[in-house]
Amino acid sequence: MKIMKLRPQMSGTGTPEEAPVAKRVKSKGSPLNFRLKLGIVILAIFVLGSFILPFFCPKDPAEQASYLKNLPVTDKHWLGTNSLGQDTFWFLVFAIRNSLQLGILVALFVTVIQTLLGLSAGFIGGWYERIVMVIIDSFITIPLLPILIILGALVRGNTTFLTVGAIIVVFGWAWGARTIRSMALSLREREFVNMARFSGASTFDVLLREIFPYVSSYMVVGFINTILFAINTEATLAVIGLSKVETPTLGSIIFWALNYNALFTGQLLWLIAPIVSSVLLFLGLFLASTGFNERFATRRGVA
Amino acid sequence: MIRLNNVVASYKTERGVVNAVDGVSLEIPDGCIVGIAGESGCGKSTLMKVIYGDIGFPLALASGSVDYGFSDDSGKPVTSRNIQKEWFKRISYVPQSSMSSLNPVIRIRKQFLDFQDQTGNKAQILEQVKSYVKKLGLPEESIDSYPHQLSGGMRQRIMIAMATFFQPEIILADEPTTALDVVVQKSILLLLMDLQEQMGNTIILVSHDMGVHYQVTDKMLIMYAAKAVEYGDSEEIFQRPLHPYTRLLINSLPTIGDDRAREGIPGRPPSLWNKLQGCRFADRCPLATDRCRNEEPEFVEYRPGHFAACHYADSEANLSEVS
Repeated sequence: MKIMKLRPQMSGTGTPEEAPVAKRVKSKGSPLNFRLKLGIVILAIFVLGSFILPFFCPKDPAEQASYLKNLPVTDKHWLGTNSLGQDTFWFLVFAIRNSLQLGILVALFVTVIQTLLGLSAGFIGGWYERIVMVIIDSFITIPLLPILIILGALVRGNTTFLTVGAIIVVFGWAWGARTIRSMALSLREREFVNMARFSGASTFDVLLREIFPYVSSYMVVGFINTILFAINTEATLAVIGLSKVETPTLGSIIFWALNYNALFTGQLLWLIAPIVSSVLLFLGLFLASTGFNERFATRRGVA
Repeated sequence: MIRLNNVVASYKTERGVVNAVDGVSLEIPDGCIVGIAGESGCGKSTLMKVIYGDIGFPLALASGSVDYGFSDDSGKPVTSRNIQKEWFKRISYVPQSSMSSLNPVIRIRKQFLDFQDQTGNKAQILEQVKSYVKKLGLPEESIDSYPHQLSGGMRQRIMIAMATFFQPEIILADEPTTALDVVVQKSILLLLMDLQEQMGNTIILVSHDMGVHYQVTDKMLIMYAAKAVEYGDSEEIFQRPLHPYTRLLINSLPTIGDDRAREGIPGRPPSLWNKLQGCRFADRCPLATDRCRNEEPEFVEYRPGHFAACHYADSEANLSEVS
């Protein structure tokens, strides 16, 4: 055996021959990407506009016959008035506000429920996981729209806006819970979770300090997507008249416009305004969601 | 002194219980580097888990115990039942894959401070961490990075820094240099040796690279099919091995200038599911006799501090095989 033995060199500790930290990112974090920026700008306009403008509203926009019917665009009525004698612009502002409120509220509940159930199912496992998974899978397999139509028909008339939100929560949490549970399953076996445990962290510490930072970005994306889903679903229900149509929402405008044949009476703005707003709002949410995803991927070192 | 008393560790599976470590007894003196060698599935990693005290389903400590030779705060001697409280304080662990052992979405700095109680002064500790990291041959700024911004060697240094920050008495290193190129391997091993020399702690190093064992370790344990087959000073084991398995392992090491084809050890280790009788290496051993196949050899001290489990450890036939 003619191998030179390694001997510790007391002078220096090892030989730091490795490259210096080349691509260190400033502690501010990587710059926002274009999608995220644009998405945030669109959302900011919608949120600020729809939450501040109502303070300057002269009259409850849902009240019928406040103005003359079917007025064209003037400097008093920026989008004219509709066949119910309501100001289309103010009705739209309140609709966006209500839709956003509903979306955010639903998304809050859905995110909390799916995170709690998903993480606990993935981490605890065993019988608990099986039971939770049966429930989740049942909710996933239930076809959403037919059920909503039946429910909507049942509670029609004496429903409140919040009931609609609750129904969307009940049928909207399952997909996300399944995603987060599979994430937890994979994270549970990662070496860094093991290391955290080996360094003396309790299960709660592991969840809070190791898993949560990892899952949180997915949660933000999921949150935004749920807002989208909730607004969308409520609009769908409203368009077919199964939501609380007296409350201004993006869907209920379209419902009334269709009901009064806005398309044939030439009141295109009544129909186009909510559609354009919805598309813009969805675009903002979508850009924010994918932009955030991309930014998070950069942080993970994927992109 | 770490003392393993007849440790039997078993895995519960659907097929039944299998003993991955089957009656290992040894004493590891303080302040030395001990290598554990053996082929895959021989129980190296399970033994490490037992020593670290990470015993949980499906692994169970069927019998035996581990004494660490020190007491906890309340004065009770620490055994494998209560070692968990000393994790990363008096016993720590350098993992195999530094690539995945750091949380990819958290900066190193934060991961470092996670190990710290919240009582300490953060800024002060951060200074200590920085100077410690610098001492280990890393740029200070590296703790501000995310793991993916560092090279494999740097990450392994960070892991070693975390594991040794509190100057633990015992460091377990489970193949700390796999997946690193040889230059980085050398620097990581030197780093571990340096730290050991400075702090005087005990390092238990698992590796199946006999070259690493020869260069780094003071003492060696050779395992085969869940059993300890040889234990002693590394020099002694490489110069005058007692067990035929050890000899075959050493002979399979290549030397520069010798271009003869290396012979592996023919055959495979026995399945631990089978009922095992006699010496477990008998089927592959060139010296095996009927006695080997029927009677299990004891783990006996043949020379001072040099143990082996072989009926013919001292016999002429075995020693003359040395070449």
